[in-house]
Amino acid sequence: MQRISDPLPGTGGTVLKARTFECMGTVIGLTLPVGNPAEGHAGLDELAAATAVVELLFRDLDETFSLYRPDSEASRLARGELKLSQASAGMRERYAEAHEWRLRTEGAFTPERPDGVLDLSGIIKGHAIREAGTSLLALGRRDWCLNAGGDVLVSGSPTPGRREAWKAGIVDPADRRTLITGYALSGNSPHRAIATSGSAERGEHIWRVGNSAEFVQVTVAATDIVTADVLATAIVAGGTRMLDRAADNWDVAVLAIRADGSMLATPAFQPA
Amino acid sequence: MKLRGTAAAALASAGILLAGWQTGTQVNGISTVASSTTATGTTGATGPGPSGTGSSGTGASGSTGSAGASGSSSSSGSSGSSKSSASGTYKGSTVQTRFGPVQVQITVANGKITDVTALQLTNSDGKSMQISNRAAPLLRSKVLAAQSANVQTVSGATITSDAYLTSLQAALDAANL
Repeated sequence: MQRISDPLPGTGGTVLKARTFECMGTVIGLTLPVGNPAEGHAGLDELAAATAVVELLFRDLDETFSLYRPDSEASRLARGELKLSQASAGMRERYAEAHEWRLRTEGAFTPERPDGVLDLSGIIKGHAIREAGTSLLALGRRDWCLNAGGDVLVSGSPTPGRREAWKAGIVDPADRRTLITGYALSGNSPHRAIATSGSAERGEHIWRVGNSAEFVQVTVAATDIVTADVLATAIVAGGTRMLDRAADNWDVAVLAIRADGSMLATPAFQPA
Repeated sequence: MKLRGTAAAALASAGILLAGWQTGTQVNGISTVASSTTATGTTGATGPGPSGTGSSGTGASGSTGSAGASGSSSSSGSSGSSKSSASGTYKGSTVQTRFGPVQVQITVANGKITDVTALQLTNSDGKSMQISNRAAPLLRSKVLAAQSANVQTVSGATITSDAYLTSLQAALDAANL
């Protein structure tokens, strides 16, 4: 039972460490509680290895699905050089998944632009995060937080072996450097994922149902990242109607902010 | 605690329905009001609302006659004075929802709903349950305390790599280098 130096006393011998990389036009960060490998904690090497796995996965998906790369499979589909029936299995799976969400959200989420061009960018980041999470678990990592441009999936706890939640702050759309509120992920909550969509968002094309952008920012916490991501996008597009539909039909918590700063929140976001 | 808001919302929607009913547009009378109440988000029921009527008995068929259903339930005192002044308490049928079984009771006096009560709101452990997941207004002043909360990550609308540099998340990541 020898006691080795404790990097941050009181946190179970671990300290949070993060590694980041750029992909899909934004920054992806992986945070792990890092400690002494001799005590069974992940070390800095494990963090580097885990980040490399996540990065490879994101890059592979970006190469296939990016509409910013003229040579990607998605771009060739968009230009009509490739038919969906000839596309890769991965492409067709994401298309099927996106269409499933279109049905479930009554069209508020859609994988097609108004001009008919297929655009899966609304689902691909969530898919990448989901796949990365699966890989991290397969690597034996139990406690981590993965943040891809503001969409977050966590596992376990920031303090290994405890039920302490990962706490996610939610950005104020009127001032990106302040937080409006926070939400506890994992811990005692079944929600492990949180995603935020904005009405003036880069890359992710949101086409409104009707003509008004009722909400400037919508945050959804859910048990999985794709649900959180898709529903946040759908509620920005579909307004209160879609918000009610999401709250009724999925196990989600929602915080929606209007342009005037007023907010709507489901019970999990309401102060006790 | 959350129930009060829920009940208020239900009351409001029921009120609207009742208004419609009083003008004779809802020929199914009370039973419709009861089931609609259940379906409009009181319970957050996902499936179709109950088409049944529960213990109120369908009374009130309102066939054609005067301003909607001349009511009179088979249940309690329907002091119904001739025309459209149904009174009494009416129970909707029990609906299975994501939150457990839910049954709603309304109290009607002289054709107006005066109270909406959720009758079954407990799970198998006898704990009271949240029956609606609908969103309600949230005051900024109520959540400002969270600003100072210690967070490990930040969720916001997707930002560009450039915007990341000045973001809170970048500060967090830098702190964890």
